[in-house]
Amino acid sequence: MDSELKSRIDERVQVLSTIKEDLITRLNLPYNPDDLHEDVSLLGSGLGLDSLDALEVILGIEHAFGVKVADDNIAILRSINSIADFVLEARADGVPEEAAR
Amino acid sequence: MRKSPVHDIQQASGATFDDRVGVTRATRFGDPQEEYRAVRDAVGLTDFSFTVRYRVPEDGLDVLEQYAAGSVANIRFGRVLHTLAADEQGHVETDLYIANDDEQLLVIGESLISDEQNAKILAGMGAEQAGLEDISSSTALFGLDGLNAWMVVKDLFGPDVLGLPYLSIETYELDGTEIRLLRTGKTSEFGYLLLVPAEIAASAWNRLLQVGQPHGLKVIGTDTHDVLRLDGRFFNIYGEGAKVQDPLALGLQWMIDFDGEPFRGQEAIRERRAAGPRQKIIGVQPQEGVLEPGMEIFHQERMIAQVVTAQYSPTLGEWIGLALFDWEFAYSGLEFCDQSKRSIRTVSMPPFMPKSLEVKLDEM
Repeated sequence: MDSELKSRIDERVQVLSTIKEDLITRLNLPYNPDDLHEDVSLLGSGLGLDSLDALEVILGIEHAFGVKVADDNIAILRSINSIADFVLEARADGVPEEAAR
Repeated sequence: MRKSPVHDIQQASGATFDDRVGVTRATRFGDPQEEYRAVRDAVGLTDFSFTVRYRVPEDGLDVLEQYAAGSVANIRFGRVLHTLAADEQGHVETDLYIANDDEQLLVIGESLISDEQNAKILAGMGAEQAGLEDISSSTALFGLDGLNAWMVVKDLFGPDVLGLPYLSIETYELDGTEIRLLRTGKTSEFGYLLLVPAEIAASAWNRLLQVGQPHGLKVIGTDTHDVLRLDGRFFNIYGEGAKVQDPLALGLQWMIDFDGEPFRGQEAIRERRAAGPRQKIIGVQPQEGVLEPGMEIFHQERMIAQVVTAQYSPTLGEWIGLALFDWEFAYSGLEFCDQSKRSIRTVSMPPFMPKSLEVKLDEM
């Protein structure tokens, strides 16, 4: 694996791990991080989050990564991967490194 | 061969059919893209009578606990569990909805094995003594899926139906006959299943056509569901399920109660889970052109994945698929290539926001 690819994967793995651990802790899910496929649906099917759970998840994202999620942006809650995309795009758009951790 | 109670109506309307594990399914009714658009923009009516269905008395809970991987005992009254049944090797065999319906449990399965094979497995778990009844032929199952699906059930059953949460079941009357309505769906749009007695299947089908007409209803076949499930990123047992089989590589851990009552295949799944994951499926899109099952994906000279399912998505206007990747490469947002050096991107799924998620039924 070349170093550029490894670097991109490492960055994504770090973001995904933080999201998964936050989900497992906040929602008391009976899974380990490897059990949570990154494409698993968060709303409705899959993990089946309700609106209160969704609020918890958004608070977790904002706290963990120092980003602000707009009230009407439920699109990012499609899956763990869509949350990670949002965080990585926010970083690329200049969210301070210390705030993004 | 088991056929739907409305098979003849569908045949007369020009449907095409396939036969799978001893059951006939209506695969297509018209232009595939029009069928697809009906669900994403309006509502589609599908005949799911090809599913295997059981009625299980409360006393049959033990049988279902051995059969299903999820926590059947914890299904609350009026709710539906989406889970799976596995074979002895811990491979996915049936995609299940199990509903807690008053003093009975209702089971609806999309299966890779025949009715007879399922019956044999359940018999070995004590189905006969528990009073499990196969209702696959005595009932019909119709699906309403789409942005406007809620409008059709509201017209049929009144505004209270909009309060049904996802994965729930309720009893209603349809033209004087008791039926079961399940709020479910595997398209990412609104979805409802109507379980009706076979005697009224034809009249119920025609009633759905009539009530759905002002809401843009079209009859759609199972081929269209293959596309809807893929670009809605719902598990398709007839697609990636049949090819990959391992629920862990398929990302179906959420359907499994790892620490619950013993179920068929549990030990094999637990062993693989303990050994750690090796592969998993993720979304892929080609930079241009067509994506085909079996296509190999490379990083440098190493083959790291193989496409297992692919469809053209009318919403995306592009091909999309799922590929089984070696674990270390199974992340979205990366770029690899196929044998001809064409770029293949890994993508986050589901790739778009379904319109139904923006509709608030509690404000209707």
